[in-house]
Amino acid sequence: MARLDVGLIGAGGIARAHLPAWIALGARVTILSTDGNAEKLAARHAESGVTAVRGLSELLDRAAVVDLCTPTFTHRQLTLDAIAAGKHVVCEKPLALTVAEAREMADAAEAAGVLLFPAHVVRYFPAYAALAESVAAGGVGAPAVLRFTRSGSYPVWAPWFGDPALSGGILVDQMIHDFDFARLLAGDVVRVHAQVRGRQEPGARAGDVATGTAVLTHASGAVSHVLGVWGLPDLQFRTTFRVAGPGGILEHDSTAHTGFRVLAQGTRPLGEGIPGSPMTESPYLTELREFAVAVEGGPVPRVSARDGVEAVRIAAAAAESARTGEPVEIKVTEEAGL
Amino acid sequence: MKDLKVGVLSFAHVHAGGFARLLGAMDGVRVLAADPDTDLAAPGEVRGKAFAAQLGVDYVDSYEELFAWGPDKVVVCSENVRHRALVERAASHGADVLCEKPLATTPEDGAAMVEACRAAGVRLAVAHPVRFSPAYLAVREAVRAGTAGDVLAVSGANNGYMPGGRRRWFVDPALAGGGALTDHTVHIADLLDDLFEASQVTSVYAQTNNVLYEGEVPVETAGLLTLTYANGAVATIDCSWSQPRHHPAWGGLSMQIVGDRATLEMDAFDQKVHGFSEASRAGVELPYGVDLDALMLREFLFGDGSGPVGVTDGASGLRSLRIVEAAYESARTGRTVAVG
Repeated sequence: MARLDVGLIGAGGIARAHLPAWIALGARVTILSTDGNAEKLAARHAESGVTAVRGLSELLDRAAVVDLCTPTFTHRQLTLDAIAAGKHVVCEKPLALTVAEAREMADAAEAAGVLLFPAHVVRYFPAYAALAESVAAGGVGAPAVLRFTRSGSYPVWAPWFGDPALSGGILVDQMIHDFDFARLLAGDVVRVHAQVRGRQEPGARAGDVATGTAVLTHASGAVSHVLGVWGLPDLQFRTTFRVAGPGGILEHDSTAHTGFRVLAQGTRPLGEGIPGSPMTESPYLTELREFAVAVEGGPVPRVSARDGVEAVRIAAAAAESARTGEPVEIKVTEEAGL
Repeated sequence: MKDLKVGVLSFAHVHAGGFARLLGAMDGVRVLAADPDTDLAAPGEVRGKAFAAQLGVDYVDSYEELFAWGPDKVVVCSENVRHRALVERAASHGADVLCEKPLATTPEDGAAMVEACRAAGVRLAVAHPVRFSPAYLAVREAVRAGTAGDVLAVSGANNGYMPGGRRRWFVDPALAGGGALTDHTVHIADLLDDLFEASQVTSVYAQTNNVLYEGEVPVETAGLLTLTYANGAVATIDCSWSQPRHHPAWGGLSMQIVGDRATLEMDAFDQKVHGFSEASRAGVELPYGVDLDALMLREFLFGDGSGPVGVTDGASGLRSLRIVEAAYESARTGRTVAVG
């Protein structure tokens, strides 16, 4: 693979997850952020040639692809800027806060002939990839009823997460992972009903809890339930799924099949002392490698810009339903030409 | 002490055999069964005298004979649509009734049953054994004591085999009242009725399908419900008959409870040894948890109200029935249905 010039925008949690993957892929990475963290992150990876810049034009001058790891409310403008400069774009999920913005971004990428890759990384988590492969091969027959849960501590480290005006709230920011996956397995969604409870306002602090629940009805007739929890500080990150069809069930609990566990380490608290060891390749590496191969003319990634738009459509419908208490209908045909 | 006389009315329900066996094994209990109305059974379903012989319980050919025996209490295990007539009959004979769930196929029937038992001065109880699950009681303790904080959301699943293979009437909407939505919504609805101390359900949203048994049964076999409660909680229930028919386990019942001070999870049936049998070339599960049916029956027969939990009463069973009725309306219209 030829050396890829990557412009990484943002230096928060997801950028720190993407950066080692880019380095592993041999990319030359330039980082930009507005909070001063780009310099610190670049310094930590200086031996891998990572550098920081202070302006977007400088970043676009150096980069062939842009990896957008910024808060959701900034995605549209930065994506359009990158596309206008002829760059392929990796955009962290959700693509945007509204369907109109997401569609505008996808349309712009198509018109410019560049890739817009929504980083729905759950598609690359090995258990989920195994599920998708089996379901696509008829492993359970036509999916009938699907359940997904996703829980972890409230992301208070970055206050914009807790502000629905900036992140869309738990339905849009967190549960979109499982909305995308439910659609992947059971097809387009025609009706959404959702509710949220707990802390939904800006200013959340450790100890606050927000939760969302959504029921999706697919065009096939299948139904999906998604539960999301931004929970107490000690809520271990955990995802589960159960997919049932006439041919059987597939189910998984991320905390039940860890491969490696520390059973005792004396007085050191969990998370300190003996580090966890990855059991599989980082899903971020799998994800970004697939994108990099596509940039070089290889097969298109498994997640398309349209998938990203559709995920936003489901999430936005869920948010509307949570506001009104009524289900929201989605027309599946209008994006057919995208 | 004089033996308690307990009648088992009908073997139509798949739980009838288990109840009869447990009752027959209890000290101080005499059991008599009658299962005269086998007209709705499918060929091959063992019912009536032959089934009683398998169970080892005494049997009479008619309900007249059973009531002439003078039962103190009866357990009604008929097809759902026949619950009302049997419960009213028991009430008229002054016998306390434990009725299989759901209480009836319509809230109108359920209300009439509650009224008949009230007027006759007999107890009406509904068979919801999961209230007796130690896992549920641990949840209840945390919620009632306030250590879980306010409950924000509950995600519940009560999945099981599609029961039409063992008893065909379960998939006949005229006899059962519906499919999975009728059969499996009420267990979790009942737990939440108890957990939330009868907090009113204010709205119901439900979606159903029959992807699992398309062309084989005429009722919904999968369903998801969203219930909002007056106390602010929102609960979802997966009531699907989505347990594969050759799975070693019949199904299960689990709930995740998200409170603002704790997140809890319970599974009423996960205490099992798992293995694999080379002889049968199939997975093996050995349940070792407490027998919830036995706890429920014992409380119905001998309970003095001092136990940690009581058997579901008719009023509670009727509340669950109203949720099911609203869920069918929601599934039909695609809209949220207000209740109460």
